[in-house]
Amino acid sequence: MSTNGGVVLALEDVRTSYGSIEALKGISLEVREGEIVTLLGSNGAGKSTTLRSINGLVRPRSGRIVFRGKEITNAPAHEIVRDGIAQSPEGRKLFPRMTVLENLEMGAFQRSDRGGMAEDMERVFTLFPRLAERKNQKAGTLSGGEQQMCAIGRALMARPKLLMLDEPSMGLAPIFVERIFETIVEVNQQGTPILLVEQNALMALDVANRGYVLETGKIALADDAARLRENEDVRKAYLGET
Amino acid sequence: MATHAETDTRIRLRRSPTSYLTTAAATILLGLLVAWLVVNLVKSPSYFFTISFIGLTNGAVYALVALGYTLVYGILELINFAHGDVFMLGGMFSATMIISVFNLSAHPSTGPMIAAIVVSLAVAMAACGVINATIERVAYRPLRGAPRLAPLITAIGMSFILQDVAIAWKGPSYIAVPQILPTGRVFTIGGTHYKWDKFIVVVITVPVLIALMWLVQKTRQGKAMRATAQDRDAAAMMGINVDRTISFTFLIAGALAGAAGLLYALYFGQVRYDTGFQLGLIAFTAAVLGGIGNLPGAVLGALCIGFIQAFNEGLRWHSPGSDWTQSIVFSILILILVFRPEGLLGERTPEGA
Repeated sequence: MSTNGGVVLALEDVRTSYGSIEALKGISLEVREGEIVTLLGSNGAGKSTTLRSINGLVRPRSGRIVFRGKEITNAPAHEIVRDGIAQSPEGRKLFPRMTVLENLEMGAFQRSDRGGMAEDMERVFTLFPRLAERKNQKAGTLSGGEQQMCAIGRALMARPKLLMLDEPSMGLAPIFVERIFETIVEVNQQGTPILLVEQNALMALDVANRGYVLETGKIALADDAARLRENEDVRKAYLGET
Repeated sequence: MATHAETDTRIRLRRSPTSYLTTAAATILLGLLVAWLVVNLVKSPSYFFTISFIGLTNGAVYALVALGYTLVYGILELINFAHGDVFMLGGMFSATMIISVFNLSAHPSTGPMIAAIVVSLAVAMAACGVINATIERVAYRPLRGAPRLAPLITAIGMSFILQDVAIAWKGPSYIAVPQILPTGRVFTIGGTHYKWDKFIVVVITVPVLIALMWLVQKTRQGKAMRATAQDRDAAAMMGINVDRTISFTFLIAGALAGAAGLLYALYFGQVRYDTGFQLGLIAFTAAVLGGIGNLPGAVLGALCIGFIQAFNEGLRWHSPGSDWTQSIVFSILILILVFRPEGLLGERTPEGA
């Protein structure tokens, strides 16, 4: 798909409210073919709301969201998944009383190509051998890192045309964080564009091509990842420098 | 919607001395109960079996209704108080089919009887399924984002509306359903005949239960139901049409209530506008006893309540009698809510329910 110069996802002036509180005050951003784009910002800046607006769990009050040339602004969540956007949500949101295997199968719920699903299952188990060991265990009994792997694996099982990851490093031991970020790069190199929301700005900017910085529902900065890493405000706010 | 109890050890570590007292008291009570049953069995075995068959039959009808409460609670965390009244309408539809459509009177020949049962079952299940799904669409879905109390009040309101509809349709008195079930014996145990009227209730209930288990465990729609029950947002992110899955769940719950309505009308031979209120509360107790949201639990709870009721009302040696049935059933509800809110088969969750 090279519609519109390789733009996979475009948000145009998206405004989203919870009741009377406006969480997104006009967000515009783009994800292009082959990219990793990261969304940075402090708690409550609107990162997760941006993802929820894209995947249809909340409906924007105004603005447009276009995915691969098709407007999905007001499409129901299950149709957006069918169009090709899969997500590993904040807090993982696994199905706790299903096994790891069943969770991964749920990721492929809207697919019917059994051959392709088996292939993707192999791919997930190659990326995360730990999941293969635990495949008959209930997801609710996994450790935090394993749950994160399972959530990412589940999103990959949809064979998405855009993968959204919300805080994949949250609450994980450093060794797991490394592993998760290696996987993100690996998946991206296999051809899937990624929209990455992260608190760990240093790691995120390391792997991303471009980044957006959100502040109270608005985009404060948008630039190449390398330049954002050098930006003084970003260094102060998100990279822990004084 | 599944059995599961690996948190048990952790809970046990935190047990206080009071909980040992509770356990001791529960054990003594259970011992007395078993002793009472054994004495009754020894004193008059044939009578004991007669009563047990009644308990099994009641339990089967309760199970079908209890499953509807538990299915809906599992997916929406809503106690659908109108469910008992959907069951009552199922009884009304069945009565109408048997009396007005098939024109049957007591003791018909086998051919018309089977035709009447099969067609009435299909009609009652379809009609109650559609009614229940419509109730969800009209009365509960608009309140999806509202505080939990709002749909609960609406459910009670729906219950009254359905009762009023039944009064407007059939009047306030009992509708007598002719005794069309055969009463010959199927087999004899300990001098007691197990008769066809009771057996047919089980013959219809068991395949319905098996079909339900298969639907929930094996089918795509069942997977969607389980996923939606465990995490609605995550289910939507998997591409599951959550609204349609919830509608489908109400459809299935209503169909089960419809089947129960037919069995009730056939077996007990009468239906009235408030039949569903009483039986609904008992079935709800059964669902809580088994662990609300847990399908096998609902069946187990319903059988327990069915037997408890039958033993209490029927046994001859020192049984409290039917005046006490309601008190006993609702005492069980209170005891379960206080001491084991997760029910017999339910799991312990942070909210404790």
